[in-house]
Amino acid sequence: MSASPLNVAPARAGALQLALRLTLGRPITLVLFAVCAALCLATLLLGALAWSRLQPLQAPAWMHAQALVLASGAAGENDLSATGAGLRQVPLVVAAEFIGRDAALSQLAQRPGLAGLGLRELRPNPLPDAFVVDFAPGSSADAVEAAVAQLRRCKGVESVQYQPEPYRRAQALSAALRPVALLVGAALLAGALLGAALAARLRAPPDPQELRLLILLGAEPAVVCRPYAYAGGLAMLVAAALAWWLARAVLAQLDAPLAQLAHDYALHWSDQALTPAGGALFCGALALLGALLAALRARSALAAALRDSEY
Amino acid sequence: MEAARIDPRLPEGAPAPAPVLQLRGVERRYGAFRPALGALDLALGRGEFLVVQGPGGCGKSVLLRLMAGLERPSAGSVHIAGEDLAALRPRARAHMRRSLGYLPPGAGLLLQRSVLHNVALAPWVAGNEREEGLRRARAALALVGIDPDRQGDLPVGQLPAGERQCVAVARAIANRPALLLLDDLIAPLDTARADRVLNVLSQFADAGIAIVATQRADAGAAAPLPAPWPARARALRLSDGVPVLPAVDSGPAA
Repeated sequence: MSASPLNVAPARAGALQLALRLTLGRPITLVLFAVCAALCLATLLLGALAWSRLQPLQAPAWMHAQALVLASGAAGENDLSATGAGLRQVPLVVAAEFIGRDAALSQLAQRPGLAGLGLRELRPNPLPDAFVVDFAPGSSADAVEAAVAQLRRCKGVESVQYQPEPYRRAQALSAALRPVALLVGAALLAGALLGAALAARLRAPPDPQELRLLILLGAEPAVVCRPYAYAGGLAMLVAAALAWWLARAVLAQLDAPLAQLAHDYALHWSDQALTPAGGALFCGALALLGALLAALRARSALAAALRDSEY
Repeated sequence: MEAARIDPRLPEGAPAPAPVLQLRGVERRYGAFRPALGALDLALGRGEFLVVQGPGGCGKSVLLRLMAGLERPSAGSVHIAGEDLAALRPRARAHMRRSLGYLPPGAGLLLQRSVLHNVALAPWVAGNEREEGLRRARAALALVGIDPDRQGDLPVGQLPAGERQCVAVARAIANRPALLLLDDLIAPLDTARADRVLNVLSQFADAGIAIVATQRADAGAAAPLPAPWPARARALRLSDGVPVLPAVDSGPAA
């Protein structure tokens, strides 16, 4: 019979050797652990990356309620300023952008389809000065409509153009999607936690009888736990490296479609890459976490093994 | 088989140390029950061989666990080489445990592991290199009559009870400790093995190692220790946790 792994070594180098033996001595367990943990970690990594790419998280323009407020035709510059200030005082109004008639005309003139229409003919019936009013994101449709009614009563306002139906539909869609998104997120998180728990169970716990005997023979608890901590760190390092590779592979396939999707829906989307330095940091941090968890587990097993003994 | 020998003698001219083991008013209670061990004073010097006898449940194993620092006395103190065990920090206590040999009741072996592994565990824990640990294990096994070449790689679980006990004794002596605490030493051994083991222990005592062993014996009048105990061994008979014979005073045996 070959010499079995001895789970004690006073020197750190010896403990590392034992950790390697504990880790590599059970290749199937290591592979199962690494794959389970890597899938969980890659899921969390991709989720975190998507979240960070969406930062600062802003509701897209189509999720805001907007109204077009037309100012009275004969208003002067001071009157327009006063009107703009009055509009901003209305509850739920977060912005009122002034668009003057000349600016509107020049914008229209720049549109290729309208270039030959003779916009100067609008002079006798000029475009009105207008304000584009943005309401606070997430406001209820009823509240927005009440605010619109208030806008209509503001001084210097000729009329307010607001179509309630699109916003009501967007609100209904948002209300329906939120629980679905929460459900999917919770399911992903639960799956990741379950996977992590499963992965942790795959790691063989220290043998309580052996731990008890080692303490009886005078081994220090820190020395007894050290190989297990190193083994936990090594196994987690393997899982983290695999997760990083998985995340990179998934991103390579999905990066362009996701960016396009974000663009189509007017979502903020930053282009952050998975850099090697980030990978090193990710793997290092998880190796430390793995070592810490394994050390805690070994300590706990040790405490359970020594429960009968007062010392 | 030619038995290997370990020479555990201390250097010539070394100053006489404090008692290796000293118990001062040691008492052990579990809850509100009567004490498992009454107030006990005991001092054991270098080379002394003490046999604690008594019926089952009289406190022999508790006494050894107290001596090994595995239990805390309810009252009094246990000193090894002058150090109060209760005052030691965990690291120092671990260090102290490495310098004594303890045979727990039931031998405390890892049955799935090999004989050599079980014995080498003690020197490995004490910080010896792998090969040195194995060398010490082989020497200790040879001393107690186990052939390390033939039986060293066998799982301990495959050995009969008497040989397992020898393996456990080998582990206790592998580190050449200054104090040996051997619980229920000879019960699992046949006469020949008991003779051999006690002969080895007697040599250790000659070399200055203090030994405390326990033996289950029916309650009754005190009597001199019978064979196979060596003549130098002294008895301490316990009954209901209280000594029947006076404890042995400190000082090496003649």
